[in-house]
Amino acid sequence: MATLRASSLDFSRRSLWTQVGSLPWGLILMICAMAMIGVATLHSATFTNPEEAGLPMRQASRFGVALVVLVIAGLVPIRWWFWGAWPSYLATRILLVAVEFFGFTRGGAQRWLQIGPIGVQPSELMKVTLTLALAAYYHKRWNDFSGGFLIHLPALALILVPAALIFRQPDFGTTLALIASGGILIFLAGLWWRVIMAMGVAAIASVPAIYFFVLQDYQRERVDTYLAQLTGASVNVMDDGYQIEQAKIAIGSGGLTGKGYMEGTQSQLDYIPEQHTDFILTVLAEEFGFFVTSGVLILWMVILGLGLAIALRAASLFARFAAAGAVATITFYNLFNVAMLLG
Amino acid sequence: MSSNRPVDAMFNRRALIAAGGGGLVFAGLISRLFQLQIMEHERFEVAAAENGVRLDLAPPQRGRILDRFGRPLAAHRQAGRVSFVREQAEDLPRLMAELAKHIDISPERQARLIRDSRRQASFQPVTVKSELSYEDFSRLSVLAPSLPGLQVEMAATRSYPRGRDFAHVLGYVAKASETDLERLSEGANAQERAAVRRLFKHPDMRTGRSGVERYAEEWLRGEAGFRKLETNAAGRIIREFDDPSLAPKPGRDLYLTVDAELQKFAIDRFGNESGAAVVLDIESGDILAFVSTPAFDPNDFVNGISFEDYAVLRDDVEYSPLYHKAYDGTYPPGSTFKMVVAAAALEQGVITPHERIYCPGHYRFGNNTWHCWKHGGHGAVNMHWAIKGSCDTYFYEIARRMGIDAIADISRRFGFGQRWELGLTGGRSGVVPDDAWKRANKGEPWYEGETLNIGIGQGQVSTSPLQLAVMTARIAAEGRIITPRIIGEGPRPEADIPMDAPLDPEIRQKMKEGMYGVTSEAGGTALRSGDLGLGGPRLAGKTGTSQVRRISAAERATGVLKGENIARRLRDHALFVAYAPHDDPKYAISVIVEHGEGGSKAAAPVARDIIAEALRLDARRTPAYTRTASVGGGVGTGSGGP
Repeated sequence: MATLRASSLDFSRRSLWTQVGSLPWGLILMICAMAMIGVATLHSATFTNPEEAGLPMRQASRFGVALVVLVIAGLVPIRWWFWGAWPSYLATRILLVAVEFFGFTRGGAQRWLQIGPIGVQPSELMKVTLTLALAAYYHKRWNDFSGGFLIHLPALALILVPAALIFRQPDFGTTLALIASGGILIFLAGLWWRVIMAMGVAAIASVPAIYFFVLQDYQRERVDTYLAQLTGASVNVMDDGYQIEQAKIAIGSGGLTGKGYMEGTQSQLDYIPEQHTDFILTVLAEEFGFFVTSGVLILWMVILGLGLAIALRAASLFARFAAAGAVATITFYNLFNVAMLLG
Repeated sequence: MSSNRPVDAMFNRRALIAAGGGGLVFAGLISRLFQLQIMEHERFEVAAAENGVRLDLAPPQRGRILDRFGRPLAAHRQAGRVSFVREQAEDLPRLMAELAKHIDISPERQARLIRDSRRQASFQPVTVKSELSYEDFSRLSVLAPSLPGLQVEMAATRSYPRGRDFAHVLGYVAKASETDLERLSEGANAQERAAVRRLFKHPDMRTGRSGVERYAEEWLRGEAGFRKLETNAAGRIIREFDDPSLAPKPGRDLYLTVDAELQKFAIDRFGNESGAAVVLDIESGDILAFVSTPAFDPNDFVNGISFEDYAVLRDDVEYSPLYHKAYDGTYPPGSTFKMVVAAAALEQGVITPHERIYCPGHYRFGNNTWHCWKHGGHGAVNMHWAIKGSCDTYFYEIARRMGIDAIADISRRFGFGQRWELGLTGGRSGVVPDDAWKRANKGEPWYEGETLNIGIGQGQVSTSPLQLAVMTARIAAEGRIITPRIIGEGPRPEADIPMDAPLDPEIRQKMKEGMYGVTSEAGGTALRSGDLGLGGPRLAGKTGTSQVRRISAAERATGVLKGENIARRLRDHALFVAYAPHDDPKYAISVIVEHGEGGSKAAAPVARDIIAEALRLDARRTPAYTRTASVGGGVGTGSGGP
């Protein structure tokens, strides 16, 4: 275990109430507001379907639990997070390997693991533990000795091993998210610009190779569909293209002020697939229109900006990297999902 | 901010660069949102509106058929129906199995329904059962939401409130068969054919198979429209829009000239006999009753009659309920033909009304003997007595004197030998035989001996009850042209050229006197049926017997078999034609009682009661359809609306 300077990580002598008071309540309130918008939209998306009737309530109660966890996590001394970083990362990796052998399949991909009564998706845990592990790694490296290109190679390994495991499940989206947010951390850790440039060129050059040798058939199809839409070529309307097109119709028909809460024809008449999960934004866009939808996106920017401010203000390198990693992960998720819908 | 180490400065710098990148992407997404929601809003709004709206073909409501006073003969009734749509059903055998728990469908029928559904477009509903009971309807309605593809709905079904009364006149409607579709789309291009096919494959759509229903198909059908439905992505109907511009245009009502009450009375009067009756309004030619009995119930055909039930109707050859005896049936007219023969003889000048001919009970010609119905003979009779007593010998003689061509010519002028186009399916012309006809049909010349048979209405001559009624009306009418019609308001058939060259009034007078004698003077064959029971007016008529079999010389020697001694199907038909009142003719009637044997015994009382009922009901009074029209009903013409 690396030694930590008491000055930067130890808040334990302050009273509990002082600590609670020092939590970023403005940010938490905004997160609560965002969650309420989410639950309301989910209600609109699901109230016509009796099978999904309980979802908004469940979402709300889950958020309640998550809020408590959030506050507790905020009170846990940062030292504990540092100590837990490596063990949790290793444990998650073991779970990911276990998924290979014991995992069960849901929605066509083997992502889930049954531990006692609960189903766990180790790839989701990995988003948190990878960030912590990278933060811990750079904290130690930058405190021990400075700079150099080679210090980034172990970090790359920390990212790519779980990424490869997740890609095999297969879960292309999470793999990308992991690489992207991990990559952001490497970037923040001072990877040389010329290496970044070189990697960028290499990445662009390897696109055809990835397309033909790495992607699964269904993933290739998805890319094809997307390209076909960009070029305006006709697509099989009953396929992925149909769903994206219906989502665009929903968003576009919402207009400036929307069709009114629970009045969206596209959403209420089941034209949108998976509208309570991946496509939830279409419900918001159709029923509330441009003002509210762009407002929600701006609210996200504010939330993420406040997160970034925490990273910039934090004293220890571990805290700065961990906060920045969290912001990067969430940002990437937001942009990825919204971009998917807006096409 | 703790920027005391070089690494912190770099971290901050790079974090802001990354945040700037993220911010740019966010901005890009928001501008994309702006593009979709504001700039391209109209396009997507149209797309969204089109998405949920489906236009379903809505069949038009078929026009009603009414009697002359507006009483419905063919109308509509709401009935529950269960059907399924293959496209929306997930598992057809399971759907069938679920249905079978509630209504009775055999496994064979289930298999057939599934087969049927695969033979047509997947979005076309297949009817499982129409005419659901109220209990079944409510039970299945509850079940429907849980079984995708199942449709339970109320639909208008053709109904014939008067059952078998008008079976042959109205005909019936049925689901269009392949043959029907061929006929309905005759002469249409490919697109129209497809439209016809689509319309008639709709479970609510029926087409006329026979009778007025078929003849007036276009008048009654109306125009198909659409139901505007909001559906979800799975095609389930969420609600229906009310859009009058899309609504189907119902078919037009059609009025017949018949009087439903008179028709019912006439059918009841026949009881268990089989036969036909036609009542004509002498002034207008309107058919007031057009009876053929026994009949079938056209309601049985609307949703498809079972094979077994149909076989019962079809195989009853003795009573032949499917057969329109008044229009399609042709019978030798028997003695009812004698007025025509007498008129021909007077016109030809081969006899005067006063000349007497001696009847010893038989007539010899060449090497053969012809018999009079009256074994002992009539003695010396003049024309009046010959008609009144129906003396066969007299008519053998005058027929021989004038020859077949004179009889054939005047027969045609009375309307025999031609099919009257009424606006119904069917209708037969019968036969007015002459030399040309025989050469064309039998390849033989006409023999003089045959003329004698024609003289008493037997042999090759055959006439329909409708033609006999027209003949009677033409005798009774004061020189008016009589053309029968049954469509009061509706698609009137093109007028036939009415073969009605007027007779010398004196000749007509003789014929009417003869018919009066039949029912009202001593020696008349139908004296018992002359009194209408209405006080003053009497009936004038003529009996007839239509031979069904040849009587051999041996049988004639031992006594002609009759009544209980002979199978019903071999007995002669009984005929009677009449008009009333005798001094101011209003109604003409012809009645045939099949295998009734004697015209005076079996047919005359029926005719008398029907015509008396017509007088009592005043069946010929102004029909409902002329009251609203601007022009009064045309008299005696077959074309043009009222």
